Amino acid sequence: MALRTTAAVLVGRAVRVAARLRGGGSAIPGNIALRIDPGFLERTIARIPHGVVAVSGSNGKSTTTNMLAAIIRAHGLSVFTNPSGGNLPQGIASALLSEVSAGGRLNKDIAILEIDEGYGTRLAELLKPRTVLLLNIQIDQLNRYHEPDRVATMLGRVATASTDGLILNREDNFLVDMDARIPGRSGRRVSFFGGVPSLVDDASHGVASADRFDEGSAVPGSRAAAVEVVALDGARATLAIDPWTADGETGDSDAAGDAPSRTEIEVRLPARGMHYALDAAGAAATARSVLGERFRPELVTRALDTLETVYGRGEMLEVAGEQIEIIMMKNPASLQLNLDSLEGAPEQVFLAVDEGTPDPSWIYDIDFSALDHVDGITGSKAWQFAVRFGYLGIPVGEVDLDVRRALKAFLARPKPATGHKVMILNYEQMMLIRKILGFKELEGGGAA
Amino acid sequence: MSASLKILHLFPRLLGLNGESGNVDILRLRSEWRGLPVEITRHDGGASAGFGEADLVFIGSGPTSAQLLAHPLVLDVAAELRELAADGRPFLAIGAGFQLLGQTIALEGGDVLEGAGVFPVATRHGGTRVVGDFVVESPRLGTVVGFENRGSFVDVGPHGTLGRVVYGRGNTETPFEEGFWEDNLLGTHMHGPILANNPGLADSLLDTARTRRGLSYTDPAPERLREIDDRAREARGTIAAAPLSE
Ligand SMILES: [Zn+2]
Repeated sequence: MALRTTAAVLVGRAVRVAARLRGGGSAIPGNIALRIDPGFLERTIARIPHGVVAVSGSNGKSTTTNMLAAIIRAHGLSVFTNPSGGNLPQGIASALLSEVSAGGRLNKDIAILEIDEGYGTRLAELLKPRTVLLLNIQIDQLNRYHEPDRVATMLGRVATASTDGLILNREDNFLVDMDARIPGRSGRRVSFFGGVPSLVDDASHGVASADRFDEGSAVPGSRAAAVEVVALDGARATLAIDPWTADGETGDSDAAGDAPSRTEIEVRLPARGMHYALDAAGAAATARSVLGERFRPELVTRALDTLETVYGRGEMLEVAGEQIEIIMMKNPASLQLNLDSLEGAPEQVFLAVDEGTPDPSWIYDIDFSALDHVDGITGSKAWQFAVRFGYLGIPVGEVDLDVRRALKAFLARPKPATGHKVMILNYEQMMLIRKILGFKELEGGGAA
Repeated sequence: MSASLKILHLFPRLLGLNGESGNVDILRLRSEWRGLPVEITRHDGGASAGFGEADLVFIGSGPTSAQLLAHPLVLDVAAELRELAADGRPFLAIGAGFQLLGQTIALEGGDVLEGAGVFPVATRHGGTRVVGDFVVESPRLGTVVGFENRGSFVDVGPHGTLGRVVYGRGNTETPFEEGFWEDNLLGTHMHGPILANNPGLADSLLDTARTRRGLSYTDPAPERLREIDDRAREARGTIAAAPLSE
């Protein structure tokens, strides 16, 4: 068995180096290692002393995993984590390959892993997470999962796997009572994170949670939060953190909610937006659950201050001395939240969407009132957006399916009198446009 | 007699998963921009208020969970809906809503739900889910494009359809026909805002509704609609030229 592990690790690593040289293919080495030694992932992970924390949900997994890993590291633990997007078994195995000894041993205290909601059930079996953080259930990738209810069921199975801690978003229609809908387990602490009602309502489309049609046992926002967003100012948020109590919590003890002993901390977010503040609250609540009395709120501030912006969302690109803000159109919820967080209608707006968004029907559910015009649209879905803007009475400058030409025309537009140019892009177009603009070195990246 | 078109939007909260309420907005704008005002009645259950005045009926789609919740609410108003259909009022029914307005729905667990009986069709849940671009050739309208996302079969018997499937699956594995379209009744599994890419379909529904009431447009071809329809033609061309599926 040991020999087989060694073979898996060595071959996997060789493939990894080869794949790097060719550029891309990051899941391939993990795939090969798992084929040689199917138990490689499960066994290596099982030996990690503080076990696994699994982070899942429709939106914000990478950002939150990144934040949580930084907070845990700030507390002095060594962390194994998977890079942004590497959230299937092959991706996690690939990440392991670069860290384990040839004997398959991983010298880390704890694993913090972003897991894909669709593979959650399988990954929960494999990774046996002690703690599970669930962020949200939004209308995301309906082509893949078809219905939010199915995503809720899959995430329920992941939640059921948690032995020590379950951390849930109380603002989410499906997660607010998730603890009551799964089998209970003695020793499992359930805690919640959320925001004060004024902030949650102010994010004008709330937290964009998917509609739920069955009767929940609790309404969103009704559970007491261990960590609550109490103020938001641009890309800075104030979090109020409940003191740790050794006797655990159910999240229903409202009396503790506004006790004076809550600690308030200020944190830096990757960009402005209530969804990022909720991600930070979720990460802090999870660190608190994992670390118990060792948890220090001030280390959350320090960890998030030093964190690099997670690649690609609300990010600024500098092109020929000009700042251009990139808004990622990952799914309806993230697009809506990012549009809502714009400060005034941008003077120069460009939109690029291609087959990476196979069915953009949901643009008829999006409130585009944050825009008063669009200067250029490109990508194979461009005409569908142009139709939508036509019915909305939002003027459209130019539609050109040739991405390079459209981009060039947009860059040539005058510098805005206020603010900066804005590009709204789906993931595939963001990658392509970065490449065209010469940001090649960042491709496939993401802050580790 | 008030000179406005009345659209009845059935179960907008339960059914309308993927931008489908966009269809109602599109119908309204296409009529209003031509000078014929539109009033929209939303029905989410309860008493069938205002049904009798409806000139056009729309019902959208949704996940199976929502379909099951909508089912008894649909049966509550089934008789009124059959009357509207028999009286020539145009219907546009999509996905789960189309199924609910049919005769029966056989669920995967074996249960069979009774439908409202507006459309003479029967649905069977199951089979491999088909997800992808959808291109249909309609004898009346030419190329109709959209997105297909279904895990069911619908049997329309010998009745007329929206058209022949050029790309995608359609009602069943054979004979590659899509939906139901006879007289004033149009049902399809072309999900989302089907009328966005296919304004001809929207105008056909509006014309049926208008003609029955003897209402006319003051400005039949406003410039802003011409511009949108040019864009929709480009959108259809782009999808039909390189359709993709999962
Ligand atoms: Zn502009």
